Amino acid sequence: MNHRRIFILLAIVLAMAFVLSACAQPPATETPKQEAPAEATAAPAEEKPAEPAASEEPVTITFWNAMSGSRGEVVKDLVDTFNEKYPKYKVEAEYTGSYAETLTKALAAYKAGEAPTIVQVYEVGTRTMLDSDAIIPVYTMNKGEVDWNEVVEPIRKYYSVDGNLYCMPFNSSTAMLYYNKDMFEKAGLDPEKPPTTWAEVEEYSKKIMDAGVAEGGFSMGWPAWIFEQMYAWHNQLYANNDNGRSGLATELYVNSDFGKMVLGEWQRMAKEGVLVYGGRKYKANDPFLAQQFPFLFQSTSSLGGILKKADFNVGTAFLPRFDGDYEKGNSVVGGGCLWVMDTATPAQQEAAWEFLKYTFSPERAVIWHKGTGYFPTSNTAYEMLKEEGWFEKEPNFATAFNQILSGNDTPASRGVLLGPFVQIRDVMGTAIEEAVVNGQDVGKTLDNAAAESNQLLADYAQLHGK
Amino acid sequence: MQTRFPNKTLPYLLLAPSVIIVFIFFVIPSIQSLYLSFYRVSPLGNKKIFIGLQNFIRLFHDPGYLNSIVTSFKFAIFVVALGLAVSMGVAVVANQRLRGFGAYRTLLIWPYALSPAIAGLIWAQMMDPNIGLTSHLLKTLFGVHFNYQTNGQQALFFISVAAAWKMLGYNIIFFLAGLQSLPVELLEAAAIDGAGAWRRFWKITFPMLSPTTFFLFIMNTLYAFFQVFGLVHITTEGGPGRATDIMVYKLYRDGFEGMNTGYASAQSIILLIMVATLTILQFRYAGSRVHYQ
Repeated sequence: MNHRRIFILLAIVLAMAFVLSACAQPPATETPKQEAPAEATAAPAEEKPAEPAASEEPVTITFWNAMSGSRGEVVKDLVDTFNEKYPKYKVEAEYTGSYAETLTKALAAYKAGEAPTIVQVYEVGTRTMLDSDAIIPVYTMNKGEVDWNEVVEPIRKYYSVDGNLYCMPFNSSTAMLYYNKDMFEKAGLDPEKPPTTWAEVEEYSKKIMDAGVAEGGFSMGWPAWIFEQMYAWHNQLYANNDNGRSGLATELYVNSDFGKMVLGEWQRMAKEGVLVYGGRKYKANDPFLAQQFPFLFQSTSSLGGILKKADFNVGTAFLPRFDGDYEKGNSVVGGGCLWVMDTATPAQQEAAWEFLKYTFSPERAVIWHKGTGYFPTSNTAYEMLKEEGWFEKEPNFATAFNQILSGNDTPASRGVLLGPFVQIRDVMGTAIEEAVVNGQDVGKTLDNAAAESNQLLADYAQLHGK
Repeated sequence: MQTRFPNKTLPYLLLAPSVIIVFIFFVIPSIQSLYLSFYRVSPLGNKKIFIGLQNFIRLFHDPGYLNSIVTSFKFAIFVVALGLAVSMGVAVVANQRLRGFGAYRTLLIWPYALSPAIAGLIWAQMMDPNIGLTSHLLKTLFGVHFNYQTNGQQALFFISVAAAWKMLGYNIIFFLAGLQSLPVELLEAAAIDGAGAWRRFWKITFPMLSPTTFFLFIMNTLYAFFQVFGLVHITTEGGPGRATDIMVYKLYRDGFEGMNTGYASAQSIILLIMVATLTILQFRYAGSRVHYQ
């Protein structure tokens, strides 16, 4: 009997420990708010001490980011150079895990009153940040020092609401088509003539497969993101209210005729062995590098890694288009942007703004681009790279950039902003897997995904609606 | 047989650290979770709407959540069955008095010392569809295309085996301890009476081990439901599709990635109720048949 009691007690306590430690949340107390951002930025001008003496402590700001590996080294160089150049300020960069982890940590830290000064947030988190009431929009910090037209247009428009830029574009990328030139040659195709339509992707894939050069045709990284890209690329709205830009989105258009056509085509090609489903994120890169198929749809941010690891000639091309009467839109910008949290003191805001300006300076943007493969975010940096002959030497680095400059600017092509975007992208990722891998009915799968997403959007609107 | 404390406050003082820890880390968060489960909460927690039981009602209409319950049960049954069977077998074999078995027994415990993340990485590397040695061997030797990243059933099988493996060391220690405390006379008497090894195991060892088995059954069930987060996070991340989206992982994704705190809190409350029920049921049913010494 005694044994049993102890066992029960032990088991229950352990059970509670597991469950609760998984979901421990600090209380949702009201965090004291700073003054309105516009006033806050104006303040430091008067308060600033006459001239900081040499011995004075530098103003310290924190910069949380999700850049690991070689990208992390470029960030470190950026921060070190800045600190050296501006002894008045001290930026402390901290790697805080993946994008999702960084965002979660930053929000949790904000609740606990320990927010970073600057945080890097991926495109999926944009709406969350906009609606958070916790940030200082960068356009209010700019006192005419930065000409926003300097920011490459599609990037600026992605992170702008009503024409105002809310965060400093930092690492921007988009999706493009990678292909294996060696396989083209082996199958008797011209390696300098990549496919421009999906029909051609299929045709070339089949030729290469028939020639026994590869087992499959193509795969894609971030499938749900590629699906979004197809909407924007063919000028189709992904959600109502101008893709969630003229108001909160309340309805997703993923189950439109266009969406059903896209997923239907993918499903058909998967059944024929042309589409090789390769998993989410960057998982499909490995089989592409192992030459299992000739085509890969992937973010431009993989370019550096793929070029380094591939033991074949890599080609890159614009995203292919579907046949049919679809207008041309643009490919959507993804990647990260730097946000300033409103817990920063006036002095810290000044330091943060100096740092943001520095990251955006053409010289740094050039280093950033060369070191990581992300877009140069400023037009001047792009010109500098062009003059230097960089793009002739590295034509693959120009592909995606030319792609986003080739598109048309419309509400559909600016990319969608959704509150619960993390969850919706996950819902869509699952839907694509159900259709492509498990062969479930495309129409029904997309209808269910839309219904599930709309519910999430409704919940979000209930919380954040004006 | 009670120990008497001369001082009335001393026992409370000695108890205080544990009580405080339990309060801060278990009791207070659980009350907060309960409270938040009735709300819809914004990512920053600065906006809250009271929605009563809506989070709970919606959970049971959410195909994703229903799927995670089914997946969790499949996973737990597999992990517990496989883990207990294999470790009992290994323990019985390792219990022989042979030269060098001491070292061997020690080695058996190693997997338990690994952190879930490391264990996950090892398995992910081994079974990687492109660069994994094991998946390569499966393909060349048996023609099995093993790809846990795109095949849902294989993925669930894969994490179940990895999770069971991780618990082997722990189970083996307990089984070995149990085996060594068995009265040798009984087994010897049975042997003299002509019972074979198989019969001795089923008629004597197995029933006499039942307290240990039962304890491990509970521990493994709890492990399979709540402690495998790290392993799943490193290997499958709940995918492909929702094939390995067990309840704790779904909770994590909704709460920490989707930042839907209220919804995740409701899930944690359901988990808590489930565990409590499960444990009590286990004792009610199995407890009566367990032979305690």
